[in-house]
Amino acid sequence: MDRTRRHRNILSVIASGACCLAAIGAAAVFAAEPAPVTGNAWEAQIKVSRGVVSIDRGGQQYPGVVGARLKEKDVIQTGGNGSVGIMFNDNSTLSLGPDAEVVLQRYAYDSTTYMGAFDAYIKRGTVSVQAGNIAKQSPGAMRMMTPKAELTGTAKNYVVSVGE
Amino acid sequence: MNRVSIAIALLLTASACANRDNYVLLPDRGGQSGTLSVKAKEGGHQIKLEQPYQTARSTSGGYEQGSTNAQDVQRRYGAALDASPPEPSRFVLYFLEGSDELTPASKRDLEAILAEIKARPVPDIVVVGHTDRVGSVADNDRLALRRAESFRKRLVQQGIADDTIQTAGRGEREPLVNTADEVAEPRNRRIEILVR
Repeated sequence: MDRTRRHRNILSVIASGACCLAAIGAAAVFAAEPAPVTGNAWEAQIKVSRGVVSIDRGGQQYPGVVGARLKEKDVIQTGGNGSVGIMFNDNSTLSLGPDAEVVLQRYAYDSTTYMGAFDAYIKRGTVSVQAGNIAKQSPGAMRMMTPKAELTGTAKNYVVSVGE
Repeated sequence: MNRVSIAIALLLTASACANRDNYVLLPDRGGQSGTLSVKAKEGGHQIKLEQPYQTARSTSGGYEQGSTNAQDVQRRYGAALDASPPEPSRFVLYFLEGSDELTPASKRDLEAILAEIKARPVPDIVVVGHTDRVGSVADNDRLALRRAESFRKRLVQQGIADDTIQTAGRGEREPLVNTADEVAEPRNRRIEILVR
């Protein structure tokens, strides 16, 4: 990750009001992120989209319309009236409410063995999570990160709300 | 990250501690919840949510636990919940022993699958092949994938776009009916089709 990008991450963590040393923790997580390794052309697809939804892919903005396909490293953002529902290849889903931002940090999935890795960074907003085959096979392999915490487990459905 | 930006970060975050994270564990369709571990990135605090509608809220000193209900969850988080993608539709088709030829009954189910695909705005289809436990694991992985691929061809012939179909072979890993090795079991010779 380049210097400007990391700097921006730090600034937005601060802006989202993370307490204490969370900013440093988040920066460390970003810095440790390995290079993407994936054979699939796409990892997820937008199934539901309302209001303003956009995809940031390598600095380029794309509209987050129904049918749009998503890849590792994409950043999904919703506006004040926006919401979006995303289906991943392993049948996991994430759905975002208004004013949310989620980074698809890492996604790898073996459809034969169900082994994989799914890391998402919920920077702000509310996200409803449904765990799919990756978490079913190995609960620790699906991690939802926020500026403050890391969530894992055998839970199938849960809600994460950042900066309420 | 240099020292100056660490100092700025500390200064700014110290004054912005009003913002909290909230986590809510929800029941699945069967009413079970599993467990959700929440680990703070700083301070070493860790908690585990284990009951449906159990909640945790981040505080400066750790987590404040509580509970909520379906109504309150809908009121607070309805916009996100309502954007959840519709549940995938699931179909199971069966094969003749050792082959990628569908049983006659399963051939007739194709119409229902095509109708479901056409009913969805942006359908994508996952075809997962399975085998019984006759033969080696490696052979069964290949047979399972062959079954899924043969169904892909059939869908494409019916006008379904090839790039909306993903196939996988699970071999003998996920039997519908548990058997000893090398037992022929027609109910395990199947493909599962998810229309999402």
